[in-house]
Amino acid sequence: MESYYLTCRSLTYAQRVSQALTGAGIRNMITRVSPTMSREGCGYAVRISTALLSRAMGVLASAALPPKRVFRVMAGGGFEEVRV
Amino acid sequence: MIYLDSAATTFQKPASVRAAMIKALDTCASPGRGGHRPAIAAAEKLYECRERASRLFDVEDPERVIMTFNATHGLNIAIRSLVSPGDRVVISGYEHNSVTRPLNAVGARIVVADSPVFDRDAAIRAFDSAITPGTGAVVINHVSNVFGFVLPVSEVADMCRSRGVPFIIDASQSAGVLRISARELMADFIAMPGHKGLYGPQGTGILIVKGDHRPLLYGGTGSNSMSREMPDFLPDGLEAGTHNMPGIAGLCEGLAFLERTGIDNIAAHERKLAESLASGLSGIRGVRVFAADDGRDQTGVVSFELDGMASEEAGERLSTMGFAVRAGLHCAPLAHTSVGTARRGTVRASVSAFNTKSEINSFLRAVERISEG
Repeated sequence: MESYYLTCRSLTYAQRVSQALTGAGIRNMITRVSPTMSREGCGYAVRISTALLSRAMGVLASAALPPKRVFRVMAGGGFEEVRV
Repeated sequence: MIYLDSAATTFQKPASVRAAMIKALDTCASPGRGGHRPAIAAAEKLYECRERASRLFDVEDPERVIMTFNATHGLNIAIRSLVSPGDRVVISGYEHNSVTRPLNAVGARIVVADSPVFDRDAAIRAFDSAITPGTGAVVINHVSNVFGFVLPVSEVADMCRSRGVPFIIDASQSAGVLRISARELMADFIAMPGHKGLYGPQGTGILIVKGDHRPLLYGGTGSNSMSREMPDFLPDGLEAGTHNMPGIAGLCEGLAFLERTGIDNIAAHERKLAESLASGLSGIRGVRVFAADDGRDQTGVVSFELDGMASEEAGERLSTMGFAVRAGLHCAPLAHTSVGTARRGTVRASVSAFNTKSEINSFLRAVERISEG
């Protein structure tokens, strides 16, 4: 299933992002990301379903918690960066 | 044994602290080091602890709450971040060696804003004249670990902000005992131990960071692994290596205990005990007690001297009678110098939320017996 990964600079930041989204009723999950996605080695992202991206970005903008980058992750595991 | 050495470490902890530590040993691995269940459990507990501390100390966001090994560790990070060799650093006359030794090691020019004990106005005047142009930083103890003297931290913070001088607050004796708002104080760093007024275990501490910082330890953080540099963001930049998860879980429960009980209630309880202690001691012949005229200027820490007896000897005799107190210089020779007790030191009794009035009465009877010879 496709999903969006909102990458975060740290696990703690990802926890803040996750909490803000949960507070707004947006289901999400913190997940580790591959070094190829994070580019800097170990990293974390908050995963959400594709239908929720726009709402999630609005919530995070209000909370001043922008993700580092946003990726669309395909069912087969491939991914591409998304400009939002 | 009646424990009256909480200024060193609170020995009696809420039962939930012990239970949380045992549970952490069974459930928590290393936070930020894996996607498996034990790593996630650790990450959740660590974040809960940061959040509780943020609420309790009115911190802007939990990323600014850094887990340390103790207050000394936090103070070393703070001092190494702000102070360079030759910098002029103003400190109070009541600082602990955890401040004076790192400053000395860095090669700072230490200026002591000295003032009499329990005289807040004099302390304000001393800082006002000591913080001159060219001052690189200020370090102020919120509460003296020897005398329980509450220093005018808010006033000194205002002074530092208006003069553009970075400052560090040592909250070792005030965290969990007095209200602290990081948002209002706007200190560059506030350091505190986890094992005193926060009722966590030894080996834990918190450092609240406002702005620029420099790592003291370098190593793995579970983030930016490809880089040989430490991450420049918090908390990772100041938390190298594996976290003390059982300790943090215990600290988290200590913070929960404070939230449930209320810092104001604990402060009122401790103040009442300290007033009983001070007034009882002052009625014993041959005892000189250091007590504030106004109870608001002193926490639950009371120092005293016994005529013709070294403080260490008095401490030993009290210990054999079943009372745990601390005697000597309390790692704060500067405070003793400020008050004129550096030659013999003092006996210090310090209370926690778990002490009772009847324990204080027993202690007073013991001191009376010693003073009678």
